[in-house]
Amino acid sequence: MPALHVEHVTKRYARVVAVDGVSLTAEPGRIFGLLGPNGAGKTSTIRMIAAITAPDEGRIRFGDMPVGPATQQRMGYLPEERGLYRKLRVGEQLVYLARLKGLSARAAEAATRRWLERFDATGWYGNRVEELSKGMQQKVQFLTTVLHDPDLLIFDEPFSGLDPLNAELLHSVITEQRAAGRTVLFASHRMEQVEQLCDDLCLIAHGRVILAGPLREVKARYGRDTVALDFEGGITWLDALEAEGAVKVVVRSAGHATLRLNEGTPPRRVLEAALAGAREVVRFEVEEPPLSEIFVQAVEQAAAERAAA
Amino acid sequence: MSKIFLIARSELLRRVRSKTFVLTTLLAPLLIVAATLLPILVVVLTQDDTVRTVALVNQTGEPALADSVAAALPDGFRVVQPALPLDSLRARVLRGGLDGFLVLPRGLLAGTEEAAYYSRGAGLGAQEGVRSAVRDAVRLHRIRAAGATDAVIAALDAPVALSLVTVTERGDEADTAFVSIIVGMMMGLLIYIAVLIYGITVMRGVIEEKTSRIVEVIASSARPFELMMGKVLGIGATGLVQFATWGALLVVLGAVAGPLLALTMGAAADPAALGAGMPGRPPAPEVDPAALAEAIAAVLAPGRLLTFVAFFLGGYLLCAALFAAVGSAVEQESDAQTLQLPVMLPLLVPMFFLQYVIDRPDAPLSVGLSLFPFSAPMLMTVRMAMTAVPLWQVGLAFLLLALSFVGLIWVAARIYRVGILMYGKKATLRDLWRWARTP
Repeated sequence: MPALHVEHVTKRYARVVAVDGVSLTAEPGRIFGLLGPNGAGKTSTIRMIAAITAPDEGRIRFGDMPVGPATQQRMGYLPEERGLYRKLRVGEQLVYLARLKGLSARAAEAATRRWLERFDATGWYGNRVEELSKGMQQKVQFLTTVLHDPDLLIFDEPFSGLDPLNAELLHSVITEQRAAGRTVLFASHRMEQVEQLCDDLCLIAHGRVILAGPLREVKARYGRDTVALDFEGGITWLDALEAEGAVKVVVRSAGHATLRLNEGTPPRRVLEAALAGAREVVRFEVEEPPLSEIFVQAVEQAAAERAAA
Repeated sequence: MSKIFLIARSELLRRVRSKTFVLTTLLAPLLIVAATLLPILVVVLTQDDTVRTVALVNQTGEPALADSVAAALPDGFRVVQPALPLDSLRARVLRGGLDGFLVLPRGLLAGTEEAAYYSRGAGLGAQEGVRSAVRDAVRLHRIRAAGATDAVIAALDAPVALSLVTVTERGDEADTAFVSIIVGMMMGLLIYIAVLIYGITVMRGVIEEKTSRIVEVIASSARPFELMMGKVLGIGATGLVQFATWGALLVVLGAVAGPLLALTMGAAADPAALGAGMPGRPPAPEVDPAALAEAIAAVLAPGRLLTFVAFFLGGYLLCAALFAAVGSAVEQESDAQTLQLPVMLPLLVPMFFLQYVIDRPDAPLSVGLSLFPFSAPMLMTVRMAMTAVPLWQVGLAFLLLALSFVGLIWVAARIYRVGILMYGKKATLRDLWRWARTP
């Protein structure tokens, strides 16, 4: 299975540079997370990968083939803005979209039946899309991306609007695709999902890559500078600690806190303060920062660099 | 299988199966037939068969005149000649004993006095009957008084016919200008309306795909050009299906309604019979149903129908591509108003010149307009129904239509390609122009 290569790609709209020299490589058999705040250039990048728009500069290859009508056939794309023909029946819709991907009428029909069964939705075949609930429509939309057994899958926020049960179902299908050796691109700003699913990640802000690499590596790069604390009793000691500049409180709730150690603060300094201030310390752990924290740090740092430049 | 074909097929099936399509396709011919038949039926079924009693007061001193007036009055008039003063006649009219009274004054024959018909308000039919009866009787009387023999009178009443013959390369044909004008105009208008309706359908379809965001899914499977062409062709095919169904239904309904109509109306429906019932009047112009059918058939010959369909398709394709481009630039139909203008204007041109082309189908301006791609579908169809258009002109019109179609579809596809992915901001004509130029 081929890898997806995005090489020095730039896309401009009118006066805005939406994507600015982005390079990334998504390997087969791995899930690649494309992250970024809203308006960072995720959708613009994905549209170019899906060959819906063309880059102004740079090139995009799937294996050794430049992306275009031929790679579109081998690709499944779930856009963030979902859309189906509302008046069309589910079965017909799936068959039609699969046939647009080059499947024969018979193969499209068989794949539709098979996947509807897998999704416990055989009964929907004859229903119009508009008769389905929002969650059901989401599942139908998801099916359109996998029906034709594509080698490259692009999911833009696949879990939005799904209940936990259905999210779990999609989760298992996505990891299955990875196991089958396919290249999976997963765009999201839900960090806990990215952390759960992705093998590699790439963080985009203002059209530029500001952080990239395998998830483990990226997390290791940010070091073990985070302390998680479960405790009983008052919290004034924590405020004092933050006031003197030793830590930054990331999460604070009743009986729990997540702190980032500022430079030069040893973890035991926190433990000592907690032991002195709290009634009881239930848990104390030094760990890697959560991805969301890395995300915020990286974006802030990039913004500072931009301001300096 | 080509994607354009797949998209067109899906578009056609989706539309043809919709309830709206089935309803409009089946109901429209019924409505047309009903709209044509109802007024006739109303006239026939409410025909006035009451007998009017009318008193004749003859002051001309010519007793024969009263008889010929009485004879000339249409059916439904009963004439009495009571020797009563006008006042008592008036009183009887008011009481309802009489429907009216007709006074033929002394100076009527000399033309110095007017005949007068007194009633409580005569209907249009009664008015006309009385008027023509008096006129015919007085004329006949004057002619006779001037010494005309029966032979002279017969000569005056003898029919005068003029038949118009069109000289064509296939030989002389009976001129059916009247039929040609009507049929040609209807075909031209039909093309105009159809192009507009289906063009707007394309625009709506594009807007719908854009607002439902399905377009992004499709664009990841097919090129925008394929999507646009598939849509345009699919809706065009829908139009042809609708036309064919209407045509078939009208033929069937016509076959059923014709005899039905004749049955309802009986002899009264026959205009020749009506005319014959009035002595002293020139017979009604001969309407030979067979000749009329032949004339319509000549205008609707298979070749003509073929060019009609071809011109519909040509005009439709030309405009549909532009409508698709306009639709791609907006998110709701109301925003499309200003952008539609450049598409609608060239479509309106032929409407302004329709009358001119009908009057002078061979004038240079008419020829020019029937070659100009935007007006060709409508005006060439009209011209072809009215006059023998040289083959090269028809060919040239099609060639120009095809060339401008290729050019416009290229521009439209470029606008469409950008437009379908644009959300949020209202596009202006200037934006569309910029999109068309972006590589």
